[in-house]
Amino acid sequence: MKKLGRLAASLLLTLVSTIVFAQNPVISGKVNAVTGDNINRISVTIKGTKIGTTTDDNGNYSLPVPSSVTFPVTLIFSGVGVISKELTVASASQNNDVSVNISTTMADEIVVSATRTQTKALESPVTIERVGLNTIRTAPSANYYDIVGNMKGVDLVTSSLTFKTVTTRGFNGSGNTRFNQIVDGMDNQAPGLNFSVGSVIGLTELDVESMELLPGASSALYGPGGMNGTLLVNSKNPFKYQGFSFQVKEGAMHTDSKYRPTSLYNNWSMRWGQKVSEKFAFKITAEFVHAKDWLADDQRNYIRPTAANGKKIGEIAPGTRSTDPNYNGANAYGDETTADIRPFLLGIGAQAPFLQPFVNSLVAGGAINVSRTGYEEGQVVDPNTVNFKLGGSLNYKLNPGLELIVGGFWGSGNTVYTGSDRYSLKDLKMGQYKVELNSKNWLLRAYTTQENAGQSYNLTAASRIFNEKWKPTVTFAANGSPNPQTTDWLVQYSQAYLGGKLNGLSDINAHNAARGVADVGRPEVGSAIYNQIYENVRKTPISKGGALFLDKSDLYAVEGQWNLSDYTKNVADILVGGNFRSFVLNSQGTLFIDTAGPISINEFGAYVQASRNILGDKVRLTLSGRYDKNENFKGRVTPRATAVIKVAKNNNIRLSYQTAYRFPSTQQQYIRLGVGGGETLIGGLPVFYQIYNFAGNPPIDLPIGSGTPKISTFNEFKPESVQSIELGYKGLLANDRLLVDAYGYIGQYTNFIVRRAVGQKINTSLGYEPSNLRILSIPVNSTGKVKTYGAGLGLEYRIGKGFFLNFNGSTDVLNGVSDNLIAYFNSPKYRYNFIVGNNALGKNKRVGVNVTYRWQDSFMYESDFVSGVVPAYHSVDAQVTYKFPAIKSLVGIGANNLLNQYYITALGNPSIGGLYYVRFAYNIF
Amino acid sequence: MKKFQIKNWLVKSLGVLLVIIMAISCNKDVPEATPIAPAPITGISIGTIISTDPSFTILKAAVTKAGLLPLLSDSTLNMTLFAPDDAAFTASGITLPAISVLRAGFLDTVLRYHLVSQRLPSSAIGATFPNRQSPTFLNPAPALSALLRLTNFPTTRNGGWINNIPLKQVDIVASNGFIHKVAAIVAPPQRYLWDRINTDPDLTYLKAAIVRADSGVVATAPGSLVGALNNIGANLTVFAPKDSSMRAFLTGAITLALINQGVPPATAVATATALASTPAVFSNPALYAALPAQSVKGIVVYHILGQRAFTNNFPTTATAYPTLLNGAVPTHPGVTLQAIFGIPGVPFAAAATVKGIGNASASKLIINLPPVSDPAGSNDQHFLNGVLHKIDQVLLPQ
Repeated sequence: MKKLGRLAASLLLTLVSTIVFAQNPVISGKVNAVTGDNINRISVTIKGTKIGTTTDDNGNYSLPVPSSVTFPVTLIFSGVGVISKELTVASASQNNDVSVNISTTMADEIVVSATRTQTKALESPVTIERVGLNTIRTAPSANYYDIVGNMKGVDLVTSSLTFKTVTTRGFNGSGNTRFNQIVDGMDNQAPGLNFSVGSVIGLTELDVESMELLPGASSALYGPGGMNGTLLVNSKNPFKYQGFSFQVKEGAMHTDSKYRPTSLYNNWSMRWGQKVSEKFAFKITAEFVHAKDWLADDQRNYIRPTAANGKKIGEIAPGTRSTDPNYNGANAYGDETTADIRPFLLGIGAQAPFLQPFVNSLVAGGAINVSRTGYEEGQVVDPNTVNFKLGGSLNYKLNPGLELIVGGFWGSGNTVYTGSDRYSLKDLKMGQYKVELNSKNWLLRAYTTQENAGQSYNLTAASRIFNEKWKPTVTFAANGSPNPQTTDWLVQYSQAYLGGKLNGLSDINAHNAARGVADVGRPEVGSAIYNQIYENVRKTPISKGGALFLDKSDLYAVEGQWNLSDYTKNVADILVGGNFRSFVLNSQGTLFIDTAGPISINEFGAYVQASRNILGDKVRLTLSGRYDKNENFKGRVTPRATAVIKVAKNNNIRLSYQTAYRFPSTQQQYIRLGVGGGETLIGGLPVFYQIYNFAGNPPIDLPIGSGTPKISTFNEFKPESVQSIELGYKGLLANDRLLVDAYGYIGQYTNFIVRRAVGQKINTSLGYEPSNLRILSIPVNSTGKVKTYGAGLGLEYRIGKGFFLNFNGSTDVLNGVSDNLIAYFNSPKYRYNFIVGNNALGKNKRVGVNVTYRWQDSFMYESDFVSGVVPAYHSVDAQVTYKFPAIKSLVGIGANNLLNQYYITALGNPSIGGLYYVRFAYNIF
Repeated sequence: MKKFQIKNWLVKSLGVLLVIIMAISCNKDVPEATPIAPAPITGISIGTIISTDPSFTILKAAVTKAGLLPLLSDSTLNMTLFAPDDAAFTASGITLPAISVLRAGFLDTVLRYHLVSQRLPSSAIGATFPNRQSPTFLNPAPALSALLRLTNFPTTRNGGWINNIPLKQVDIVASNGFIHKVAAIVAPPQRYLWDRINTDPDLTYLKAAIVRADSGVVATAPGSLVGALNNIGANLTVFAPKDSSMRAFLTGAITLALINQGVPPATAVATATALASTPAVFSNPALYAALPAQSVKGIVVYHILGQRAFTNNFPTTATAYPTLLNGAVPTHPGVTLQAIFGIPGVPFAAAATVKGIGNASASKLIINLPPVSDPAGSNDQHFLNGVLHKIDQVLLPQ
């Protein structure tokens, strides 16, 4: 298959080249590096057009000049980390051997996302981190997405091998909604499930040109959502990056067999980019990942907050299945079902009066809560992670300055995600498709995100329902009142428990004996009956009593941007833009309250940015503002003001005031989902007050304190916002060998969205006893202010002889949270990374060595799923590569978490061990 | 060249530093779940105590023969042993050599009845009425239900008692519970109340009254007195009027009825005496009007408490308690119970009375001293479903 592809590619290449050569003059030459450093591919473009090419690994290039271009032409030689050069070619006859010498420096890195226009990274008005091609090609990671985790100030939650959530400046969590991820201009947050799909679906590794990270508030340019930061990932344009390339990474995981037997990691990717003519190019990309996933195996006992125990957030507690009858393992599922057996004991006492005094003495000690026997994660989730990505684009140049791009990505796979519970995302499918018109000064883009949850299900719900299917906990009559049967688990348990106590058994022994009796007939994992019941539960929609999501929510978006600087540059550089988005929530009642049909949410926004240099170009001021309106919320303006002060050549101080805000996520608006602890997550929109009849059956604040229950009151549900002030410095020191980037910020969140648990009567004729309360978790705005501050320092040092040493460290602190609030800050106070390497070692500079070391402090992780302390951890990634320039190939050997020291990034999430791989890559740019 | 060496050194030392960092620090993987430690076991077991205490030689032999020593020695269990010491065995007529003659199964049954399924220090036994009903390790019909248990009835009222046996010493602490020494063997009940009433030659009138009260109600139906007196789940105290007291009561009642009908008193007395001379008086159709079943039932249930009341558990000052009549007449004041202790050197009640509302004087319980057990005794006769005391006067509810 690969051979065929290569053959086809080369055939087509020959054919196309012949045609092109026959018609147009070609400028060719060689780019030479003046220092010993390795040079990435240099892009060669004709100034004022989009016509260009890139050099090959030996620095050679050839650029056909279309007839529409008239000589003389100016060629721009540019690339990541190199000083751009311009060279004029007077006529077509002067076409041969146009060669330049070029040197690499850190001074000339170009970033786009900081201002939505090309800016030197050194002169960026806000903190920005960029990962270029060279880093992606040489970083010691099994997946390019991991590189983001080693950037300054970034926190990463790993829910599974292919499901990672990044954020900056705090408030991390699996499925974080305060951090935008934009891939080729498309927001890749899943419209229904709300997580950014990140590495599951999106670009394939060989198609990533660059990643830019904007930590901190960035709504002013990227729209609501980017409260804490924005990550932009850009793909390779087929006009610029051509040819067939592929990469195979074969690795091993679980090498110590601690959680599961040693297994293979397979990651195959390919890309074929082809310029068919000066007007038309296309690309096709694909990637396939297959592995046995990391396993979440936290067996510790977990106490969930309930109406009765008065806890605001759950906590890890002592206890095991055999020492706590009400054990609820963090990563055990089905044991969330819990009940007090006292009513059943008293029922036996009523039938057998001679036991009544004995029973009375048993129940006098308070609730006797017992939980159903659960299953471990490895027993209820498909252990195979499969991820298949397909992408491509058709690029057509309507004229040399205007490109039409029709493209898309589609991905499917199995992975595990942690939200308010653990979810098996099985056969998840998501596609993003766009049509884009891209000119030098303006762009217009329409795109859609099409989500299909496939056969995804909730592990907790599935296991709880599974338990009910093989043996009901307690049977209910048609009118909803308990109607215990001798075949019920709790009845059998209670009888056996009482029997054990009558035989003098200690409490825990009586419980364990009772569990043994009640669990008689419990399907063994993997047995035919187990599989039959589990498959049935898994494939039955939530709305019909199963655990299956039917989410097919979509997003439709249109956006445009126009750079007016050509007309206004005498006064200021001006950029305007706007967007419209329409969400269509479609879960057939399994996730949202869309039982009556899809729910649509429309929002729009517009922005303007003006920049101007003052004080003799010493200071560049930029003002931006953005207005957004969502049909469910009031409109809102977010301003941004930045200043870059040039203190010396290649030394800039930046100062910014940024605001950002975020409309509540689609789930925070319309969700209705029962979760593990028995509570129901509902949306915060007023429509829920009617659905749940808050007027007739008012809920009360939880936890119930002493005294009369307090009826809950709800204020208008508003978007949350953050104001952030940042001071930074970026500059080249030590003879331009040391790049220093430092920043400090303070942020203040207003109307911070948190979830609040209230209790509503199940039976309105009874009182507010904990047993008569259903718990509703409603998103509300915190009335208190949440403040954060932090700082970071990045150092990149070119030691010489191709060696480089990078360090970055950062701190984020939550400050000023009122006692009553759980902020889900979820960030270590300190973290740092060391990256050391050299990609031009050896006699022929063919050897590359890269080592990354990361350490982060321990921190308290708060979530709706499991909360607790995440221990400090460190990890080492390393990779050695060797190039074969003659066959355009590279082999490598690498390791993620080289020392195979397991760590977790968040409670209830998997323990991540070492992944060791060998790599072969052909023709990677 | 020299400069390069410095950098080379720098790189190397950084590499060494990294290796050191890696070597000295280890990640903490998810901690193992910590078991909740069971409460520590302190002291020696009940089995060990009776095996080593010289006052328990007969009990030790009995327990050993019954095969109960492992159970009593299991420190993970909770139990309370009402332990007959050698003196108690002797008092009950059992000597050490006798143990070897007795069947192991018999010993097992008797001993299990002394063993309660929970830790009952004397403070937990309580001194309130009625006695605490405590399930024992004796299941009379395990095939029927694992939850079936014979119960015994300890109390600390009026001294300390288990059923009608005095406690000699309480609260010997063991790792798996408590030992309370008893003065005699606590015999497990073997019969139902009805078995006694049905066969006792001095309770023939009571039997006939009960049958009459049940007329039209089958024994398995709810509300059947015979059914309740045969039901292991019931928990009753029957104040059983001797035949002579019943005869006297009936003679008086019939005489009064005849006089009210205009029969001359002398004739009335003679007729009534003749009519009441046998228990058949209750099945005499001629008297159905004078002794309607409902009235008979009212009288009978007024003689029955819904609790087990041993005489030692009677209050020492007269106190009213509800009877089964309160099931029909909830506000009825019930009967008044009183026990009188005070014979020096004797723990048992010297006298005990029960008084009906309609009685001029209290009925006396016929007390055996020393106590005599079923079927020969007259007070504190213990059955599977209750206790029976013979009394000398019919109780009148109004």
